[in-house]
Amino acid sequence: MDWSLLKRWAFGLVPLVGVIELSAHVVQCNRKVTDNDWIAAREYVRTRVRPEDLVVFAPRWVDPLGRQWFGDEIVTLAREARADETVFPRAFEVSIRGERASDLLGWREVERTKLGAVTVTTLANPSPQVLVDDLLTHVHAQGMRVARTDSGAECTWTRSSSQAGNLGFGPTIPAERFVCPGTFVGVSVVAVLDYTPRRCIYAPPPGGAAKLRLRFLDVAMGKALRGHHALYVEAERAAVGAPVLLSFEVAGKVLGRVVHRDGTGWTRFELDTSEWDGQRVELIAEIGSTEGHRRMYCFEASTRRAGL
Amino acid sequence: MANDDAFRRAWSSLTPFDRPVRQLGLADAALGGLLAVLYVTWLLATARSLGFARDEGFYFHAAMDYARWFRVLMEHPAQAFERSTIDAHWATNHEHPSLMKSLFALSWMLFHEKWKVFSDASTAFRFPGMMMAGVAMGVVYRFGARLYSRRAGVMASLLFGLMPQLFYHAHLACFDMGIAAMWVLCVYTYWRAGDGGIGRALLAGVVFGLTLETKHNAWILPAVFVPHALIVEGRALLRGMRQGRVVLPLRLVALGTVGPLVFYALWPWIWHDTVPRLQEYVNFHLHHEYYNMEFLGTNYFGPPSPRAYLPVLVVATVPTVTLVLFAIGGVDRLIARGRGLSGQRADGQATDLLMALAFFACLGPWVLPTTPIFGGTKHWLTAYPILALFAGRGFDLVVEGAVAAATCKWKWSKGGRVMMEVGLALSVLAGPLAETAHAHPFGLGAYVPLVGGTAGGADLGLNRQFWGYTTQDANGWLEGHAPRGAALFIHDTAWDSWGRLQAEGRVRSDLRGVGSPSEAQVAIVHHELHMNEVDYSIWVDFGTVAPAFVVTHDGVPMVSIYRRP
Repeated sequence: MDWSLLKRWAFGLVPLVGVIELSAHVVQCNRKVTDNDWIAAREYVRTRVRPEDLVVFAPRWVDPLGRQWFGDEIVTLAREARADETVFPRAFEVSIRGERASDLLGWREVERTKLGAVTVTTLANPSPQVLVDDLLTHVHAQGMRVARTDSGAECTWTRSSSQAGNLGFGPTIPAERFVCPGTFVGVSVVAVLDYTPRRCIYAPPPGGAAKLRLRFLDVAMGKALRGHHALYVEAERAAVGAPVLLSFEVAGKVLGRVVHRDGTGWTRFELDTSEWDGQRVELIAEIGSTEGHRRMYCFEASTRRAGL
Repeated sequence: MANDDAFRRAWSSLTPFDRPVRQLGLADAALGGLLAVLYVTWLLATARSLGFARDEGFYFHAAMDYARWFRVLMEHPAQAFERSTIDAHWATNHEHPSLMKSLFALSWMLFHEKWKVFSDASTAFRFPGMMMAGVAMGVVYRFGARLYSRRAGVMASLLFGLMPQLFYHAHLACFDMGIAAMWVLCVYTYWRAGDGGIGRALLAGVVFGLTLETKHNAWILPAVFVPHALIVEGRALLRGMRQGRVVLPLRLVALGTVGPLVFYALWPWIWHDTVPRLQEYVNFHLHHEYYNMEFLGTNYFGPPSPRAYLPVLVVATVPTVTLVLFAIGGVDRLIARGRGLSGQRADGQATDLLMALAFFACLGPWVLPTTPIFGGTKHWLTAYPILALFAGRGFDLVVEGAVAAATCKWKWSKGGRVMMEVGLALSVLAGPLAETAHAHPFGLGAYVPLVGGTAGGADLGLNRQFWGYTTQDANGWLEGHAPRGAALFIHDTAWDSWGRLQAEGRVRSDLRGVGSPSEAQVAIVHHELHMNEVDYSIWVDFGTVAPAFVVTHDGVPMVSIYRRP
């Protein structure tokens, strides 16, 4: 190795870096996904997707474009703001730049199709769970009853306009909701601690000794009750608020109590319901916290065929 | 041995153009001025296509208030100094000193209202910020020419201007470009005052006062000047003390006396209730609120700030070739310092030390875990003129290396030498130029090819924007699709910015800006991690997850536009 030669021509590395940087810039600027690529990917998925399937976009930041091109027919709110992926037997992963959806990394690849710059990968869930009943589907006048435990007065099912605000307002207060003194219960989408969207039952506890009592009517039970809960990110990220307690009971028997503590985000819980497997019951949930201020709490739960 | 001879021959062949310039002349003024004029012209030519940042809206408002005071000053001078008049006009945005906003006001009064030079009021407001960029270009040239060579000065100036995020900030009616320019000007005038002359010392004091008046970063400058002066003039100081005299360096005395006087004199808000109002000013910045900022996929909203933030952002936003040249120049100066040599000439001023102090003082606060990071790279723009100067020195070394290497093989003709230098310059400037031009008007979301460009930045979870300045970019869709008179949720756009966008025809004037999605028929979302919640709120409120249109840069979403079904 002639080191003196290398040393003499070492200056050449700088213009080389400059040329490489320029070339990389030109390549990166021209690596685009065309409208036709998106349309082709949409048609591919539209003709194959079934209601129980999941559709996701990768990387995560391309999601707005995916939603724009695929539309509400394919990218439903339930898919976008899902609680988790466990109940979806199959997924269409629509990706660009060779990215993968991290939530689906353990899934089995069934098919992969390249449509221009978009790749659609069909994935099979290795162990899909069977959903028996979803409590979110009970949030309507006939599906449940809501009351504050201090007064006992029933909260009224109301259809008015929704209330959505700017940054810091919190999740949209849905148009259809149970209106209680000082609080409400309805289905909304909450930005949780990692800023992902989660569709859930938005039920801010009134605070103090008072609790919200939600009676879900005619719930089909399985072996387990599985759910998640969180507070709106800005309400829990500072981790200074009082915990929120959620309890479930059937026929006077407590299934379990779960506590949500600030700073823990969208956390999962699972309760054993094998005693009521196959039955239809009135499932009662109680939500309470010692504080009422900015306890912007949201939860979802569903009964599952499989046990713990 | 033959190679060593060749190197020696090459070194001896360096022309005066390659060496530091002791006395700058008319040609240097012209060259520095040309660089400044070209840059300001480019900024003016691209200003119309850049929407207004939140803070610009606040400063437009403040500038108009201050302009009213300037009118009172001209028409009823005695009344202008009354406390009630001052408080009525200078209370707006009194958490920041007055220089830039006063310049915005005067520029607006003269170049828009009176002489109609700029048809857009916003361009008049922005013009002083752009001029500050020009000042920085010129000062960097002069500093580089004096320190290293004219070539280094030119390259430093160009490499400084060709940073995509800096180019964005250079457009704005804000303080960040202003403080970057004043910082390097202050260091330069302080350095020039090292000759002991009273004139230059006074000038340094005035410039320091103007720097204090520009932005609070200037209060860090004593941490540069005091240790430097003590090292350079410490012996003289000790000698004097032994003789029972305290002889402080003249330039430090000027900085410590003239500087605060200028600061006080130019800020009417502190003419009355001086101590409490200064206290309020200090407290505002010492206990500044934390805003949200995404870094590597995590949203930071309070301490501790990530220590990797600054180095990662520098690598991800400053063109790589500029950083390579900076590293070469920096190492060269470090080695020269280590050998006790100036590398170019006897340097009783410890210039390398001054440069290093001025550079690291800009960066120091941003590696502390208690410093908020919400402003991204704008907070350390002050370091970039110095970074560019070291890069200019690096380019000198590359040229010297090329001359030395090629001289071993053939003798340079004058034309050949020029061609070689131009070729080298183009090879290092083409990338930064292309990146900077392409980044506009999405400068804050632009990342260098090393990290994959804009899409690579998004992959890494780096911030795409803040201040809601991309609202104007939604107008392409709004123009043809928003219903007549539609209520538009303007998300992160400040009301003053929105008003100006409409006043200047940058967005349709029939649209009615509203503050919540619930009131809106059309809604926009500026994509930032912590703004996701607004997206979700619109999904529920509008009953759709599908934007009607997404504004992108290199395929990366910047603004989503929803239309209520």
